[in-house]
Amino acid sequence: MYGWIWRHLPGNAWVRAALSLVLVLAVVYVLFQYVFPWAEPLLPFGDVTVDGEGAAR
Amino acid sequence: MARARGRVAGAISVFGELLITAGVVLGLFVVYSLWWTNVLADRESSRQGDRIRDDWANSGPGALDTKDGIGFLHVPAMGADEVLVKKGTNTKELNNGIAGYYTEPIKSALPWDDKGNFTLAAHRDGHGAKFHNIHKIKNGDPVVFETKDTWYVYKVYKTLPKTSKYNVEVLQPVPKESGKTKPGRYITLTTCTPIYTSDYRYIVWGELERTEKVDAKRTPPAELR
Repeated sequence: MYGWIWRHLPGNAWVRAALSLVLVLAVVYVLFQYVFPWAEPLLPFGDVTVDGEGAAR
Repeated sequence: MARARGRVAGAISVFGELLITAGVVLGLFVVYSLWWTNVLADRESSRQGDRIRDDWANSGPGALDTKDGIGFLHVPAMGADEVLVKKGTNTKELNNGIAGYYTEPIKSALPWDDKGNFTLAAHRDGHGAKFHNIHKIKNGDPVVFETKDTWYVYKVYKTLPKTSKYNVEVLQPVPKESGKTKPGRYITLTTCTPIYTSDYRYIVWGELERTEKVDAKRTPPAELR
């Protein structure tokens, strides 16, 4: 999978490494900005109130 | 034959890479929960806190505007940070790194009310983690609430390190579980426990000891000096 991406990136090894880094950072950005904020309320780690049903997740 | 084996090996290798990726994503989620949400929440709460302090400084004595928050909680046992307190305990607000006072299931009293229980919730981990060190609070420790014109000095008299999340009785105006039977001016801090999970709730109760007028220089009461 990663080998396939690597082979399809253009340029020599340095350019490919730089592009890989950009791709990794883009993925991390999407995770932190969109995926994790969406996933977090679905997981039971942040309930702090006593209310009987965890409304303040 | 050789090609079939190559295909199997390829499939296994992709599967392995997916597993490694899943592990890295989970690791990143921990970083997000325990670090990044704190960064965001601290930024937001200090911005909101600054706005309130500006309001206080620029508006003369008189009606208190409580829309942006009612004041700051100081608990020396939990560290030097002040915690902005606003109305309500919904997730969106608490995620901004503030403490909220309960509006449901049992409505909180406010510090300036004659009698009642001022009940607060805040995050233990992530999103500012304002009550992270709640386990360091001992009986007798001061809990000070600062409003525009008054310091409310509470003294902790009881902690409950573990209770069910269904235990809403701890929020009663007279919290019987803390041993009190008469109406008074109480404060209740609630957060989740154990650290990093929210299976149970941690409760700290205090009772108002005295109030102090805020002076021109906002000199903190002796407990905070």
